[in-house]
Amino acid sequence: MGSFAIETRSLSKTFVTKRGFWRRKTKSTLAVEDISFNVNQGELFGILGPNGAGKTTTVKMLSTLLLPTSGSISILGLDILKNTLEIRKRIGFTFGGARGLYGRLSARDNLRYFAELYGLAPEITRKRIVELLEMVGLTGREEDRVETFSSGMQQRLHLARALLHNPELIFLDEPTVGIDPVGARELRAAIKTLIARGKTILLTTHYMAEAEELCDRIAIVNKGNIVAMDTPSSLKVRIGRETVIEVDVDQQNLESLKIQLVKLDHLSKVEYSAEKLINRISIHTSEPENILRLLGPFLQAKSIQGLEVRNQTMEDVYVAIIQGEKK
Amino acid sequence: MILDQLRLVSRQVNVQLRMRTFNWYTVALFFLQPAVFSAVGMILSRAAGNQAPDLVYTVIGGGIMGMWSGLVFSSTYDIRSDRREGTLELIVGSPTSLRKVEAIRTFSNVMAGLVSLLAAFLAAVFIFKYPLQQVNVPGVLISLILLLFGLWSLGVFLANFLVWSRLSGSLVDFLELPVAVLCGFMYPIQILPNWMQGISAIFPIRWALQAMQASLQGSEINGIIWQKWGLALAISLVFWSISLWLDRKVHNMIRLTGELSSI
Ligand SMILES: Nc1ncnc2c1ncn2[C@@H]1O[C@H](COP(=O)(O)OP(=O)(O)O)[C@@H](O)[C@H]1O
Ligand SMILES: [Mg+2]
Repeated sequence: MGSFAIETRSLSKTFVTKRGFWRRKTKSTLAVEDISFNVNQGELFGILGPNGAGKTTTVKMLSTLLLPTSGSISILGLDILKNTLEIRKRIGFTFGGARGLYGRLSARDNLRYFAELYGLAPEITRKRIVELLEMVGLTGREEDRVETFSSGMQQRLHLARALLHNPELIFLDEPTVGIDPVGARELRAAIKTLIARGKTILLTTHYMAEAEELCDRIAIVNKGNIVAMDTPSSLKVRIGRETVIEVDVDQQNLESLKIQLVKLDHLSKVEYSAEKLINRISIHTSEPENILRLLGPFLQAKSIQGLEVRNQTMEDVYVAIIQGEKK
Repeated sequence: MILDQLRLVSRQVNVQLRMRTFNWYTVALFFLQPAVFSAVGMILSRAAGNQAPDLVYTVIGGGIMGMWSGLVFSSTYDIRSDRREGTLELIVGSPTSLRKVEAIRTFSNVMAGLVSLLAAFLAAVFIFKYPLQQVNVPGVLISLILLLFGLWSLGVFLANFLVWSRLSGSLVDFLELPVAVLCGFMYPIQILPNWMQGISAIFPIRWALQAMQASLQGSEINGIIWQKWGLALAISLVFWSISLWLDRKVHNMIRLTGELSSI
């Protein structure tokens, strides 16, 4: 095994659930179908995908909490099946949401408890707790019961908990889910600090912008498979340097505009969506000037209610890839 | 090394206690209920014309009932609350084995049960004037230690099922009463039909309890007592071995099903 922090080969996971008491029905869910990727030491690797794509399942397999149905995993050069205990000592993980803390205990007592499970000496625990609470911005709240914390504060405490034993490799499953934008920004700042300190991080998210801001590389997963994997900038290039023109138009003018657009079919990819009496047309094109010329008369007639012209964002790339998959 | 272990134990018990709500219900469960059980048993037993030595079953019977149902209640409570809080998964993913955590918790739950035993005993002695002169103190103490050890081994054994899945966890609730009936908590086990006595033989606490009842009635430490002690210890150890084996199975099973994170 090389110097990869994470190495996976053809990872798959099928959940078999039994329902009913008398005639047990068996249902299998293919959560992860076939996933292979490597993460370098010191890298911040993102797994991006919609709900149910298999992100959490993948992270749980990598962090020894779930056994893969097939495929192999090596963490820090150690085999996941043979060296479970050694791996557990050297990795940290958090799972998104409010669960995973003792609500009736203070922040400090929660951290003390988990420090004990990781076998930290008391003097080290004391020092680490002060440092970590400082890092995640919870200094001053250490004596408060965790159930009184906002979800943002809980997420940050999760992060502190995952870092107690100073792990080399950290798994963060949807670390910013359910937090307000300010809280999410603080959390992202904390994640950047960790990378600066040489940690390796695997992060999952369903927010494209977050993946783009943080990650060195991104694997986009959908239905248990990696559908694209690259650096954020290469992923953008892959779709081409297209311009996105979004036009809001009322029902009356929709048809005539459609007829015009069909003529320029070769230039663009057009999508229609309707919301509250307004029809939105999204046009992805490499020749925006031609489209805009076509829209001129409609603009003059004031039959267009909204117009936006912008460069393609990662969000567009993500949507394009996931939708391309569906077809 | 030993200091580290003790710290783990104290931290564990600390969290365990603080996750509980201490209210009148808990007090009733651990203290009043056993005392009431014993008192009712005493009254009924006297009404039936039993003399002092026969009252032994009710002296500690209520206490044993309290210890046992307290153990079942606390152990299921601990695991269910960890499952609900999502912390069970975090414990499994840590370098400390869940087996160890469960052993510590069950131990503290068993020790907490001593409160129940004490309550029943005090009720019997002070309210119902159970005579203490004939009691074989060393015999009672050794039986008590074996009883605690037996309860501990049973608790750890059952914890495996609670961790395994919510469905098999219900089994533990279901077992609470039958075990109490089978082990002769409140009456001489001889009054049970043979087949029931046969089943109860697999529970270490039955043997420890019988030795304890005999010692309370003033029996000296003879061959029969030794035999019961031996059985209590041996069967407890068998339960421990099965638990170790089950623990490995359960650890793999929960990692196959993902059961830990579902509520
Ligand atoms: N323990 C489980 N038992 C059965 N099915 C599960 C379990 N955990 C996840 N799944 C299923 O696996 C699929 C992937 O889930 P998950 O990995 O949680 O996706 P994501 O984290 O990307 O939202 C979903 O269809 C989900 O319902
Ligand atoms: Mg998820």
